[in-house]
Amino acid sequence: MNESLLSYAREAWTALQGALYFLPPFPARVDTLALLSLLLVAGLLVAEWLRARWGWPRVLGYVVAGTVFGPSLFGWINADILAQLRPIADAAHGLLLLEAGRRLDLRWLLNNRDLLRGGVSDIALSFLAVYGFAFFVVGLPPAWAAATAAVTMASAPAVVMLVIEESRAQGQITERVMMYSAIGSAASFVVFVAVLGFVHAQIGATWGAALAHPLWAGGGACLIGVLASRLAIVVAGQLPKRSLAQVFVLAAMALLAVGVARMLGVPVFLTLFLMGVILSFSDRAKVLSYTSLPDGHGMLAIILFVVVGAALPWRDATWPMAAQALGLLLARAAAKLLAMTLSGGALPIGKRLLAGIGIQPLSATAVFMAFEIGKLYPEISHSALHLAFFAAAIMDIAGPVLCRFALNRAGETAVEKETQGGAR
Amino acid sequence: MNDTLEYHQSEPLTLGVELELQLLTTRDYDLTRGATDLLRAVRHDGSHGDVKLEITESMIEINTLPRESADAIAADLDAMRGLLVEQCARNNIAVCGGGAHPFHSWPDRRISPGERYEMTYARYGYLAKQFTVFGQHIHVGCATADDAVWLTQALGPYVPYFIALSAASPYIDGVDTLFHSARLNAVSAFPLSGQCPELADWNGFLEYFGFLRDCGIAASIKDLYWDIRPKPEYGTVEIRVCDTPLDVVQAAALAALAQALSRRLLRERPAFDAGKALQVARYNKFQACRYGFDAQISSPRKRAQEGLRTTLKDLLDTLDDDARALGCRHWLDVLRTSLFTGLSGADWLRARQAVHKNLNDVVRDSAERFSAMRPPAN
Repeated sequence: MNESLLSYAREAWTALQGALYFLPPFPARVDTLALLSLLLVAGLLVAEWLRARWGWPRVLGYVVAGTVFGPSLFGWINADILAQLRPIADAAHGLLLLEAGRRLDLRWLLNNRDLLRGGVSDIALSFLAVYGFAFFVVGLPPAWAAATAAVTMASAPAVVMLVIEESRAQGQITERVMMYSAIGSAASFVVFVAVLGFVHAQIGATWGAALAHPLWAGGGACLIGVLASRLAIVVAGQLPKRSLAQVFVLAAMALLAVGVARMLGVPVFLTLFLMGVILSFSDRAKVLSYTSLPDGHGMLAIILFVVVGAALPWRDATWPMAAQALGLLLARAAAKLLAMTLSGGALPIGKRLLAGIGIQPLSATAVFMAFEIGKLYPEISHSALHLAFFAAAIMDIAGPVLCRFALNRAGETAVEKETQGGAR
Repeated sequence: MNDTLEYHQSEPLTLGVELELQLLTTRDYDLTRGATDLLRAVRHDGSHGDVKLEITESMIEINTLPRESADAIAADLDAMRGLLVEQCARNNIAVCGGGAHPFHSWPDRRISPGERYEMTYARYGYLAKQFTVFGQHIHVGCATADDAVWLTQALGPYVPYFIALSAASPYIDGVDTLFHSARLNAVSAFPLSGQCPELADWNGFLEYFGFLRDCGIAASIKDLYWDIRPKPEYGTVEIRVCDTPLDVVQAAALAALAQALSRRLLRERPAFDAGKALQVARYNKFQACRYGFDAQISSPRKRAQEGLRTTLKDLLDTLDDDARALGCRHWLDVLRTSLFTGLSGADWLRARQAVHKNLNDVVRDSAERFSAMRPPAN
C-alpha cells in the first residue's frame, strides 16, 4: 500500500521534472528534520490523548506511539528510519542519563547506611534473581544469562525522572526511587562492561580482546566523562550561575561527549551517566549544580521513547517468550521488593515497598545496552537477548504506571484534593 | 464558655520558644516537601522540646519546653536544632532559619495532612500556601489572666524592636523586596491579623472573643493572627512578630529581651494609652519591616518620630537591671552587637547575595550557618 502510493508520487514527480527544471530528484527518503517533527507531533498527540482519557503517564504514550507506527504494526517507522533516528535518540538518552547521573548523591549514601544497604541489596538481589531465572529456568548460557541480568537488573532512570517531573513529585519515596535508579544504573553499567568480556570469551575471542573491549568501553567512557565534565565546569565558571548561557554550555558539553563517544565506539549512555556523576561529585563550588537542562529535553524524550517503542520486537513475540519475560520480571520485582524490605531505617515497611514498586521501570537504557551488544554480535545476540528485549517491552508499558502509582500512594505527587466551597 | 478559653496559670516570666524552619533540597536549596517523613523519623525523649508539623510540608517547627531562663531556652533550641539537622541529613534535606525562602514558588507547596490544615486551606485558599513563611513565637508566662491581657497590650509598642532585631526575609520570589522583613506582609493578608484591640482585662477579652465567635468570625484563639496574643491554654502571652532568625543564638537573645522587657513592664506597670498606641501601631510595624534598624517610629506620647536605632539602644540600657536579675544580660549583649554593627539577618543575607550573586548559594550559606551554630558560653 505504502509502496504503491509512493510509486504514484514518484511517477508524478518525475513527470513534473520535465516541465519544471528546478525540481530536485524525488527524495530517496524522508528528511530527518521532517521525520523528527512528525514523530514529535505523533508522540505528543498519542501521549496527550492517553493522559486525558485514562490519566496514563506521558512517557507511556510515546512508547505506544512508537509501537503503533513502528514495524510491529503500521510499519511507518522502518529499520532505515530507526537507523536514521539513532543519533538523535542517543543524544536524548544521553542527556536524560546525564541528569540521572547528576542525581546520584554519593554524600547522601554515606550519610544514610539504610540507603546504602537498600541500594546494595537491590543490585545484588536483582542481578542474582535475573541471572538465576535466565540460567536455570530459561536455560541461557552463563555469559548471556549475565548479559540479560546486566541489561535488566536496574530501574530505568530516564523513565523514573520523566514520571517524577510530570507528576511534580517531592518527598522521601521520590528521592529514594531516583537514588536507587541511579545506583542500580551505575552497577548495571559496571556489570555490563564486565559482561562484554565474558561474551567475548564465550564466542572464542582471544583473552586479549576479551579484556581489551571492556577496558575500552569502561575506560573510554570514564575518560570522556571526566574531560567533558571538567570542561563544562571550567567554561560555565566564567558565566553567571543559572544563566541561560550555562544551560547551553551544559547541553553543548553533553553533546560533545555524545559525539566523541560515538566516534570512539564507546557506549554513549555510559559516558553521559558518568559525566553526570562526576559533575555532581566534583562541582564543589556549585558552578553547575543549580543549572538544569532546559525543558527542551522533554522534547528529546518524546523522540527517544517513540524510537524505543518502535524498536521493541513485538512482531517476534511468542507465548513462550512472553511467559519467560513475565517470569523474569516477576523474579526481578520480588528481588527489588525484598531489597527494599531489607533496607530497614526509619521509613515504615509500607513506604519502603512503595519505593520497591517505584523502581520497577525498565526501558530505554536496557534496550540501548542490548543494542550495544547486538551491534557486536548480530547473529548470536538476536536470540540470546530476546528475553531482555521482551522484558523491556512489557515494562515499557507497565513501568511508568507502576512508578506513578507508587509516588501517588506515597502522597508525593502534586495531585491535591480539591477544596472548593469548603468551610468558610 | 469555650474550654480553650479557660486560663491555665503558669509561672510568671517563664519562657517558651517556637521556631518555624525551612526544609530544603540539597540539590538546589529550594524548599521541598519533607515534614511528615521527617516527623515520623525523628526519635527523641522530649527532654528539650518537640518537633511539629506546620501549614505546609516545607516547614517544620521546633519548640522548647517551658523554661525559667534564656540559657535553658538556648540549650533546648540547640539540642532540637542538632536533632533536626542530623535527621535531615539522613533524608538528604537541609534546614535553615530566615523569615521567608528567597525564591521558592508558592504554588508548589503542599498543605500538610491534618484536619486543621485542610480547614485552613479550605477557608483561605492560596493564602494558606503563601503562608509558607517562617516565624519565631516567644511565650512569656503570666500568673493571671488579667496580667496576660494587660501585658499583651503593654508589649504592643515594642513590636518594631522585635521585628528589627529578628528581620531575616529581604527576598521574595527571587527579588530584593527592599524590606528587612517581608514575611509579615504574608501574615497581613489574613483577616484576623493585626493588633489586639483595647481591652480592660480578661473579662473584656472574653467578651470580645465571644462577640467574634457569635458573629462566626473566630472559633478558636488560633484564628487570631495578632502580633501579640494571650495564649490561655499555656498561661502565656505569645509574641508572634519575629522572623525566625538565621541561628538559635539570636532566637535565644530575642527570648531574653521578651523576658526582661515583660519583667520591667509587669514590675513598673507604666501607664499607656492603648487607643493612641493602636493608631500608630500599623505604621510603626511597617517602618520596622521596611527599614529595620533605620526605621522612624512614631511616638503618640511625644507626637513625633524617633529613630528606632536610638530608642532601641536606650531600651536595652534600661533593661540592664531586669536582665541581670533574670540572669540573661549576656543575651542582651548579643542584641547590642547586632544593633551596633548594624548587621541584622536581612543585612547578612544581602551581603551573601552581594558575594554570590545567586540566591541558591545564599540559602546554602544560610543552611550552613544554621547547622554549625552553637550558643555562646555564659
